[in-house]
Order: sequence, then structure tokens, then C-alpha cells
Amino acid sequence: MNGIVTISTGQLLLALVFILIAQGSSFIYHLGLNRDITIGTIRTFSQLFLMGYVLTFILKTTNPFLVLSVFMVMVVSAMFIIKGRVKEKQIPYIIPTFLTMLVSYLATALFVSGLVIGITPWWEPRYFIPAGGMVIGNSMSALAISLERLFRDMRQQKELVEMKLSLGANYREASLDIFRNAVTAGMIPSINAMMGVGLVFIPGMMSGQILAGTDPLIAIRYQIVVMLMLVGSTAVSSVVVMLIVRRRCFGSGEEVLLSPR
Amino acid sequence: MNPLLEIRNLSFAYEESAALVFERLNVAVQEGEYILVKGPSGSGKSTLLRLICRLNKPQGGSILFQGNDISSIAPAKLRSAVSYVAQIPQMIDASVEENLLLPFSFTINAGRTIPGTEELKEMLHRFYLADVTPSQSAMKLSIGQKQRLAIMRALLQEPLLLLLDEPTSALDQESAEMVFSIMERLNTEDRKTLITVTHIDYKPETVRPLTYTLAHRSLTLSS
Repeated sequence: MNGIVTISTGQLLLALVFILIAQGSSFIYHLGLNRDITIGTIRTFSQLFLMGYVLTFILKTTNPFLVLSVFMVMVVSAMFIIKGRVKEKQIPYIIPTFLTMLVSYLATALFVSGLVIGITPWWEPRYFIPAGGMVIGNSMSALAISLERLFRDMRQQKELVEMKLSLGANYREASLDIFRNAVTAGMIPSINAMMGVGLVFIPGMMSGQILAGTDPLIAIRYQIVVMLMLVGSTAVSSVVVMLIVRRRCFGSGEEVLLSPR
Repeated sequence: MNPLLEIRNLSFAYEESAALVFERLNVAVQEGEYILVKGPSGSGKSTLLRLICRLNKPQGGSILFQGNDISSIAPAKLRSAVSYVAQIPQMIDASVEENLLLPFSFTINAGRTIPGTEELKEMLHRFYLADVTPSQSAMKLSIGQKQRLAIMRALLQEPLLLLLDEPTSALDQESAEMVFSIMERLNTEDRKTLITVTHIDYKPETVRPLTYTLAHRSLTLSS
């Protein structure tokens, strides 16, 4: 196989057949998904085209600040997505979550592009941006799951937590199970992905590399690094965010601030 | 001598802007006293107990325990000395013994001697739980049994003050009488200081409690 087969505009539009099938199913069975499928399709096209143009520009840049700005925009967008999914108004979790994401993802992306892959300069956009994107995308879902679980359990198990507090537990001891369950819930998808990779599915990045003509033996090495990087960054960001946000669920007298809804 | 507990000008509202549930409450509790707090539902009786162990925050005023403002005492330390038992008893999904020994798994109780199984059995007997074995699941007990177990568990860390929030409201007559009898014995035999909140008309047989009524946002001594 030599070179890449490009997809023409006509061929791209032909792929819309899949959307027609999905729309048809929704219409026939009254699934109520037609609007979402339409919006999703438009967003897929527009966001990816925009990203394509931005990447074309970014990949040529020699300015590290521009690369870091793109990275920053990605983290901010992830934060907004988390905010949309976690419906919690009472506990201020956004700033600590954002700062943890920024620091831990930057550290992970730096480690991978600078040390594991060994690119110079470390911010080389061809490696740094995709690595950052994968870390952010994966950990973002994990954080949303963990935060949702933490707030839900804190509300639902308020009386149990208060029982432990009343028996002399400090807030960490009283909410230990809730903390563990929240971190675990976020981590499980990344761990499951390690179990199934190569057997059940071929990950997107590796498929992309193979489609673009890379030797599969090189592609798997990249994929292994990516899988490990995702588990590590998810663990670090989940644990740190849960530690900070859990404290915020308690007042200065270590009283539970959330109530069952 | 300092009273064991002193409440000064205590006010509470559920939210900053909401109306006060009660305001400027003043009361002093001496060691060994048996206090009953009565009053209609919604008058803030449970909240008063929760404020004493810092499970809620007051809007104004202060609470002193052994002469020290409770906001200056580490929460875990305060709560191991002032034990609160909630209206609905909470158990962890484990055996009776594990539930009873739960307080000993917390840092604050690290130095304490953990009671043995025989000691627990004896205590279960005293709490009208002779038919309950330490190894059985606590989740399968009746609510009346759970309530007695919850009081027993709170006592195992030897608190100086026991706060009981409507301890019989969810119980049948027989279980309620057992709990009342336990409360009275704790005061007469073990010299425990108790503050019990109740909305029912309960007249202790063996002790003469100080009865306060919390209504219309203030606390008055009624007997």
C-alpha cells in the first residue's frame, strides 16, 4: 500500500447515507432523536473542518505559545463540557477541576512528547497537540463521571456520612467509601479499554495511523504509550480533583453541606 | 464550676436570607442532668442538637462545651465527646459487631481499648438485645433494634454528653418503652448527661428531667 487514498467532497457526502439510516430509524420508531442527529452531524462537520484548518496552521507554527494556547483552549472547552454534564450548583468545583486538568494534562503531554517519544522541541505540535487532545478527551469523561458520582453519593448518603461523623470520624474517614467509588467509577472505562484493546477494538489513533500508511508495528507502540498515558493521567486528575472537591462538600465544622434532593 | 454545655444567644435559619427558626436561645446544662426538649415539629428541636455537635452552623450566638467555644474544638474531637444519635438509625452493611466497633476504626479513638465479643454480648443484653448475636447482619434488624444498637454504639466511645434526636418516633410502643428505660438507666446508673428531643408526651418514671419547650422561636423551662 502506497500513499493515502484521499476522500473527495462527493465521497464525503456519500457517507451521509449512514445519517439517513439513523434518521430513518428514529423516524419510524419515534425515538425522538432526529433533532439531535441533525445537530450532531452539523457539529461533526463544522467542528472537524474548523479543527482541520486550525491544525494545518498550527502544525506549521514554530511558536510554542501558540501551541500552548491551542492546548489551553482544549482544556477550557473540556471544562465547559464537564460543567454541562455535572449539574451541581452548590459546591464550587469548577476552578479546582480546571486547574488540576491544566497542570496534570500539561505534565502528561510533556512527559509523553518530550521523554517517551523524545521529540525536540517538546512542544512539536504534530505530537503535542494530538497527545494533549487524547489525554483531555479521555480524562474529561472520567472527571465528569467521578464528579457526578461524588455529588450524587454525598447527597444520597448524607445520613450515613453524618452517622460516622457523629461517632468521631473526620470528614475523610466519613466519606472514604464515597471518595473511592467516585474515583473508581471514573477510572473503570480506561482500565476496561486496556483489557479490550487489540481484541475487541482497534483504537482510533492506531486505525488512523494505519489508514495513513504507518507500519502497524510502529502504530501499536504509539498506541501502547497512549493507553498507559490515559490511565495515568485519568488516575492523577481524578484523585486530585476528588480530594479537593470532597473537602468542599464539607463546611468548616466538617458538616455535610449537600442535602438529598 | 463551668457547666458541661452552655448555649448563648443561639439563633438559626436554614439559609442566610430565610426567617429565623429560633433566636437568642440561652441554656446551661450541668453534668449528670437529664434534659428533655419538647415542642411542635418544625420548631427546630433536632436542629438544636445538630448545632451542639456542629452538624449545622448557627446564624448567631455561641455554644461552649466544658467552657470552650465548640468552633475552636476539632470537629472529630468534639463529636467523640458529644455523641449524637439521629432519629433514623444508620447502620453500615456489616455485622452487628462491626457496626458496634465502627467508632474504633476512626483516628480519634485510636488509643481506646476495643471491647471484646463477650463484653459486647453483655451490653447487648442490657440494651434488650439478648436475642441479637454479634455476628449477624445489622441490616436485617428491626428499626427498634437498630435504634438501641445505635445508642449502644454511641456509648461505646464513652461520650460526656449524649444527644438523642426523637429516639422513639419511628418505634412501636414496646420498643419505645425499652429505649426510654435505657435512657433513664444511663442517667441514673451511669450518670450520663443526656439531652433528648421528643415531640411525644413522655414522663420518665425513675428520673426527674429538666423539661424545656422550644416553640415560637424561643426555649422555655417548663418543669
